[in-house]
Amino acid sequence: MSTDIEKLHDDHDHGPSSGIMRWITTTNHKDIGTMYLWFSLIMFFIGGLMALVIRAELFQPGLQLVVPGFFNQMTTMHALVMIFGAVMPAFVGLANWQLPIMIGAPDMALPRLNNWSFWILPFAFTMMLSTLFMESGGPAAGWTLYPPLSLQGGDSFPFTILAIHMLGVSSILGAINVIATILNMRAPGMTLMKMPIFVWTWLITAFLLIASMPVLAGAVTMLLTDKFFGTMFFTASGGGDPVMFQHIFWFFGHPEVYILILPAFGIVSTIIPAFSRKRLFGYDSMVYATASIALLSFIVWAHHMFTVGMPLAGEIFFMFTTMLIAIPTGVKVFNWVATMWRGSMTFETPMLFAIAFIVLFTIGGFSGLMLAMVPADFQYHDTYFVVAHFHYVLVPGAVFAIMAAVYYWLPKWTGKMYNEGLGKLHFWLTTIFVNLTFFPMHFVGLAGMPRRIPDYAVQFADFNAIASVGAFGFGLSQLLFVYILFNTLKKDVTAEDKVWEGAEGLEWTLSSPPPYHSFEKAPTVD
Amino acid sequence: MSSFKKTYLSLTLFTIFMFSFSYMLVPLYDIFCEITGLNGKTNQERVLVVNENPSERFVTVKFTSTVANSAPFTFEPIDREMVVQVGKIYNTFYTLTNNTTSVKHATASPSVVPHEDAEYFKKIECFCFSQQQINGLETKELPLQFIIDNELDNDTRTLILSYTMFNTTDQVGSK
Repeated sequence: MSTDIEKLHDDHDHGPSSGIMRWITTTNHKDIGTMYLWFSLIMFFIGGLMALVIRAELFQPGLQLVVPGFFNQMTTMHALVMIFGAVMPAFVGLANWQLPIMIGAPDMALPRLNNWSFWILPFAFTMMLSTLFMESGGPAAGWTLYPPLSLQGGDSFPFTILAIHMLGVSSILGAINVIATILNMRAPGMTLMKMPIFVWTWLITAFLLIASMPVLAGAVTMLLTDKFFGTMFFTASGGGDPVMFQHIFWFFGHPEVYILILPAFGIVSTIIPAFSRKRLFGYDSMVYATASIALLSFIVWAHHMFTVGMPLAGEIFFMFTTMLIAIPTGVKVFNWVATMWRGSMTFETPMLFAIAFIVLFTIGGFSGLMLAMVPADFQYHDTYFVVAHFHYVLVPGAVFAIMAAVYYWLPKWTGKMYNEGLGKLHFWLTTIFVNLTFFPMHFVGLAGMPRRIPDYAVQFADFNAIASVGAFGFGLSQLLFVYILFNTLKKDVTAEDKVWEGAEGLEWTLSSPPPYHSFEKAPTVD
Repeated sequence: MSSFKKTYLSLTLFTIFMFSFSYMLVPLYDIFCEITGLNGKTNQERVLVVNENPSERFVTVKFTSTVANSAPFTFEPIDREMVVQVGKIYNTFYTLTNNTTSVKHATASPSVVPHEDAEYFKKIECFCFSQQQINGLETKELPLQFIIDNELDNDTRTLILSYTMFNTTDQVGSK
């Protein structure tokens, strides 16, 4: 693979074994990171196809293409696939590739467990997607699986629950691995407050994962026993309470949304300084802001369910704690802007994605603040405004950060430079279409269009048509991304070791591509 | 090496703790609702000690009913509305009709609005304390005896008691 291995003084190393067994049995963090990233790209397209089914049906009012039951399966599966199949594995893939080479470690702390946590994923998703071919169809009660509706699902129900269990196991193992790696394997001299910010955000994300995923596992297990073993956790006729499920679910669910965004903060905080040619403004405050967002995420869950009938005191508590999150998030946004202030900025593709992240994520943050206001939320709840809000924080938020990270580190991983012109074209197409898709959703939402419906009143037709055009444009633009990836891989020009002039960190001291086993002798950080 | 092991062990234990915590949330939720009277939960068991001490205050109590999941029942209150004296015991009825020809079991789940007054709505006798068995095509009168506690908030003028009737025949059959 690389001749650099031979340069090592005490070389008793071997490169990767050949053939398919390399990927099945690998314990190498770079191989596993690569597999995570490819898997996530495949799932991104599967989830994207589901989104296009939704947008095609919503292109005009009335029922044209699919029956409402299948439409509901699409909204449910789109969410599950995108959250657990696309965004989370992409971040774990980035963690696998980057954490060891950023902290100067030879590999992850638990390499075999690492292999296992990846290989659970294809099986879990095969099982989850297979439900679409069952007689009853896939799960259709929304990804939140609220009872009693989710309990009325057909044969897909136990398969979905088991798939979620497996995804939970995979995430928890991944998180334990990340924490063990970061806490025990940093290069000598790298104190916690000297760690790259991406490492910090992943450390905090990993703690969120092990604190919240088991709660989801518990909640879905209760659903399972309610359905098959007559426990009455959420069955009102047996003294249970369906609202309690919402509380337990969102106790997991809110930390989960920060699991989907904190690594993105880390990526943006890495890329903005590199292309501004300045140090990150307010490193310490970035770390503390990330930690406070994580802590606050455990006491705000009920803002997802303001309309269930909560006492005034509860609504006020959850409203103000939710608004409190805007403070550390604001600290981050201002720090990014301050980092760019008077920097020698250049606008390569990763930087474009990072800047678009700041602008568009902030729009999503503001609509989040609107939703946090109890009196206003009673109008916005379960409308397309909510859909617009969380897609703004997840697509131009999490997904843009992942794209930025891929463009930023791809030359390091492959040793080859992507085509900058095509990268910029991909960026502009993506950014234009993402706004065309999701911005009109704010308007139809405020005007009262409910979410999760296959048909709608005619006054929403124009904006929905625009959103559908945007969605297809967005989907097609991503094919360009795949082309850029393959185009890069088959190039024969090698990238420099330090690809970006302003980039800092241990990973740039390695060759491009890095040797199969890197940092076997730990570097010293001063 | 020991610091590695310590990390794995504590993280694994923490994971197990969080899984158990999700189950601990169930009793915690009930206790929380019981103490605060949130969620509109009223007493699920009969109130044993009742001090009848009628005050000069009158409030309106409205009765509503719902049949859950299209169960084959007709379930209605006899009195849709009563003006009651705070601190005095009252009786009323709901009627339940089984619209099928087979024996059914039914359970009612009560809820009081406003939620924060739920704890002052005290049921002395209620059909919701136990499961009802009802023959095919039978109509039953279900008794309810209640008292509004003198501690009731001064601003409250109206209370709504709502029952949802569930068909629990399958659950009884499987036991």
